[in-house]
Amino acid sequence: MTISFGHTPLPEKQKDILKKAIRLEWITIGFLVITVTLVFLVLGNSQAMKAAWIEDLLSFIPPLVFLVAVRIARRTPNPKHPYGYHRSVGVGHLVAAVALVTMGTFLIIDSSSGLLAAEHPSIGSVHLFGQVFWLGWLMMGVMALIALPPVFIGRAKMKLARELHDKVLYADADMNKADWMTAVGSIVGVGGIGLGLWWADAAAALFIAGSILWDGIKNTRAAIEDLMDMRAMTFDDAKPHPIVHQVDDYLRSLDWIADAGSRVRDQGHVFHIEAFVVPRQPREISVAQLDEARQACVDLDWKVQDIVLVPVTELPDVVTQRRTPSSR
Amino acid sequence: MSTPARRALTAVALVVTLGLTGCASSFPADPDGTLDRVTGGALRVGISPNGDWTDMTDGGEASGIEVSLVEDFAEGIDAEIEWIEGGEEKLFTDLAAGRLDMVIGGLTDTTPWTDKAAITQPFDQVMTADGKTVKHVMAAAMGENAFLVELEQFLLTQESAP
Repeated sequence: MTISFGHTPLPEKQKDILKKAIRLEWITIGFLVITVTLVFLVLGNSQAMKAAWIEDLLSFIPPLVFLVAVRIARRTPNPKHPYGYHRSVGVGHLVAAVALVTMGTFLIIDSSSGLLAAEHPSIGSVHLFGQVFWLGWLMMGVMALIALPPVFIGRAKMKLARELHDKVLYADADMNKADWMTAVGSIVGVGGIGLGLWWADAAAALFIAGSILWDGIKNTRAAIEDLMDMRAMTFDDAKPHPIVHQVDDYLRSLDWIADAGSRVRDQGHVFHIEAFVVPRQPREISVAQLDEARQACVDLDWKVQDIVLVPVTELPDVVTQRRTPSSR
Repeated sequence: MSTPARRALTAVALVVTLGLTGCASSFPADPDGTLDRVTGGALRVGISPNGDWTDMTDGGEASGIEVSLVEDFAEGIDAEIEWIEGGEEKLFTDLAAGRLDMVIGGLTDTTPWTDKAAITQPFDQVMTADGKTVKHVMAAAMGENAFLVELEQFLLTQESAP
């Protein structure tokens, strides 16, 4: 079966990676169902456990967004949607990020008010398998059990996100990797209650809420910048994407082109490129030459989905300024 | 193994060891030391009369199913009971303010006083006239988990406990 993103058929390697990523996201959802149920069963009166539970609930959003977005992004461009459906990834990214900001803020207010009102959390006993013991032990046991698997799932997803150039998958992987902190945070909170430190629980909840809010702010910023057509960056937004230079270098290497510069927008998985070229002999360029150069650029990388070549007498400022070192 | 994973393991191990070793004798502990204070001391019990569960004579004599339970519990920790009679609102306000250690009065597990008190595990279960099962509970001071667990361990071992 040919799998495409828009009208780009995916290379064999990316096709396998996409399948793996989809499987991993389903595994994540399955794991979350178990986690959310287990944590709900031992929730008790702990603020930290409540915060951890809400974070687990929110963790459903990125995998679902990813699964929906890759499905929509596969549709081919048509007259009504001439740029294709790749932006579904960016929209999903923004929705997930805003959900994180909202819940993070809510949890910060919730746990600070508990702390300010000096609420003493009560955790009683539980009657299980004929034994009566403190529910706190069960809470800490469950959190210790679910602390590590997301870290490994997150690491696996991170590799796939790089290959697929998928920022939702990246955000999801990044959050999974930090998930152990939530589990440890709630263990510390419940352990603190056990030691008679009533404030430890709310403080741990505040820490968890802070990490949710921080994830939200980071991702909202990244999603908005992509939707604002910031220049294409690598999957982790660490540096400008190397494909920009590859396209420019290739075009400059052609003997009929004197200079070239392009602006690249990240549509989701793939890029749309406007490449400006200054011909050596403006009167002698042919449509065939332009077409050939265009096709060669598309063949450079599967992410070059759509490229427009524009012959100009002088390169526009936005593409020449980039050559001098500049800030984001 | 990865660094964050190792750090997570270390932190978990630390908390578990902390819990199992030095603090195992008093884990969970009371922030305000209720269990320590009432053991061999005075146990301040708020009582709101409610049918067969709790009753109070004009002479200040407490009686009822819950009263006998609390008397047995107090005997177990060698505590002297101080009965304080009142309406529920007054008793729960006093409990939240630390002027009482526990409250009884035919409370059920659907009690609305969860903001002001720690509700215990049920010690009895009865059918009401309209066929609903109602679980009976007691209330203890909020966050005094050693005392709460001690009381629950007593209540859960009752034959009537569901």
